[in-house]
Amino acid sequence: MSPENEIDMINFFNVSCTFGKEAGVRNLNFSIEEGEFVFITGPSGAGKSTILRLIYMDLFPEKGKVVIRNFDSSKIRANEIPFLRRKVGMIFQDFRLLNDRNVYQNVALSLYVSHYKTKEIRARVYKILNQVGLGHRIYYHPSELSGGEQQRVAIARALVKEPVVLLADEPTGNLDPRVSTDLMNLLAYINQQGTAVIVATHNYGLIQRIPKAKLIQVNDGEIVNIT
Amino acid sequence: MIVFWFLVKEGFHGLFRSGYAGIFSIIILCISLVLIGFGYIAARDTLVLVDNIRSQFDIDVFLYRTATAEEIQQLTQEISAMPEIEKIVFISADSAAQRFKSEFGEDIFDILQYNPLPPSLTISLKKPYQHVADIELLAAILANKSIVDEVKFRKNFLRIIERYQQLILVIVIAAFAFLTLISVILASNSIKMTIFSRRDVIETMKLVGATNNFVRAPFLIEGTLEGLCAAVVAVIFIALSFYFINNYLQAFISYRALASYRFYIGLLVLGSLMGLVGSLRAIRKFL
Repeated sequence: MSPENEIDMINFFNVSCTFGKEAGVRNLNFSIEEGEFVFITGPSGAGKSTILRLIYMDLFPEKGKVVIRNFDSSKIRANEIPFLRRKVGMIFQDFRLLNDRNVYQNVALSLYVSHYKTKEIRARVYKILNQVGLGHRIYYHPSELSGGEQQRVAIARALVKEPVVLLADEPTGNLDPRVSTDLMNLLAYINQQGTAVIVATHNYGLIQRIPKAKLIQVNDGEIVNIT
Repeated sequence: MIVFWFLVKEGFHGLFRSGYAGIFSIIILCISLVLIGFGYIAARDTLVLVDNIRSQFDIDVFLYRTATAEEIQQLTQEISAMPEIEKIVFISADSAAQRFKSEFGEDIFDILQYNPLPPSLTISLKKPYQHVADIELLAAILANKSIVDEVKFRKNFLRIIERYQQLILVIVIAAFAFLTLISVILASNSIKMTIFSRRDVIETMKLVGATNNFVRAPFLIEGTLEGLCAAVVAVIFIALSFYFINNYLQAFISYRALASYRFYIGLLVLGSLMGLVGSLRAIRKFL
């Protein structure tokens, strides 16, 4: 729990957000510091994805506020949201890659939207794809890759813009156990490089792989425990 | 600049990725542009024809037979000085009799033993004054002259032409606006289909931090390109139709279909604008 005057990277202040009959969250108070590894766990429908959506401001609190560095959900204007999202990397269970373009183009898209120069885009994309072990798949299309490889492309796309935090929503949901282990090792490596990682998952097996991670347990839209 | 070329490239790629929905948009826009193009030419030529008919209407000023040459000359000079007069022709009583003979084949002296035809002035007006209101005003002034017996012009016919000319204009403008609106709506709906099929691109762009303008730009470029493609096809179709009319149908009709390069450029611009507005309207729903 964090008082309002403390400066953390991500702060939730009494956040409530419910929408229709879908899962919502109530009275959330927590903070995440720079470089932390955090698991948000709980059963399906507990509100894990809602918390992530609140962080990248796809949803806004009905009560309270979410502050990510100097982006405040209670003050932010619609045209400022893209600038927040350039600081926040996101990966999803379904990868959300564009099948009409190759790996290089999928990853480079992140940088084009931030108006990088072509030379820098090329250098960064090659570097990050080598880091995630896909340097040899650069001109493949997502449909030609395995699930694990597709998730790596998604990670590369999220990391290439050097975000301060990487959000992963059930990142191993579509992957077999061996590939899931590889992916968690990759996320741990990314975290060691200084990027905060927040993983929303209902798979408790993953949590044991990162013993030093902070654990936020949610149930029925409320935080039941933070360790 | 890099971003600009990226967006242009995305727009071009979008055009090729849009598949059947894109082709449908192009066909809709093309049909509309062909109709607008033909409609414009038909309306333009009809108005020119009506204008020509109007310009052939003269005012006949019949003078008393007792009018002296000096009085007639004075009146002619007076009328010539008026700003609305294009041309004035004096027809003496003898010339009128000769004209009668040439037109009807019989000498009026043989029929009536005298010449009843009065001397007259035939007045042509300058183009801006070829309206019933102006002609009526001038006729009233002329009728008050002492040597003027009667002023005649084809008032009713001119009125009909004037009314129809206005009607044609209104119909053309209304048809033009209607067709443009309908095709923008249809094109926008089919562009919406192409955008809907690529909403994953929009979602992904937004997730990685693209501004709305950045997301919008490729779709606007794509819509404009679709409009331009449609216009190119429409221009080719219209130009070929005119070529066909002018080279193969001259034996059947005396009409020559002519259009300047400005007309074709206008169609290209209109097509591009229709595509742009259509895509602008379509993308609004997704941002």
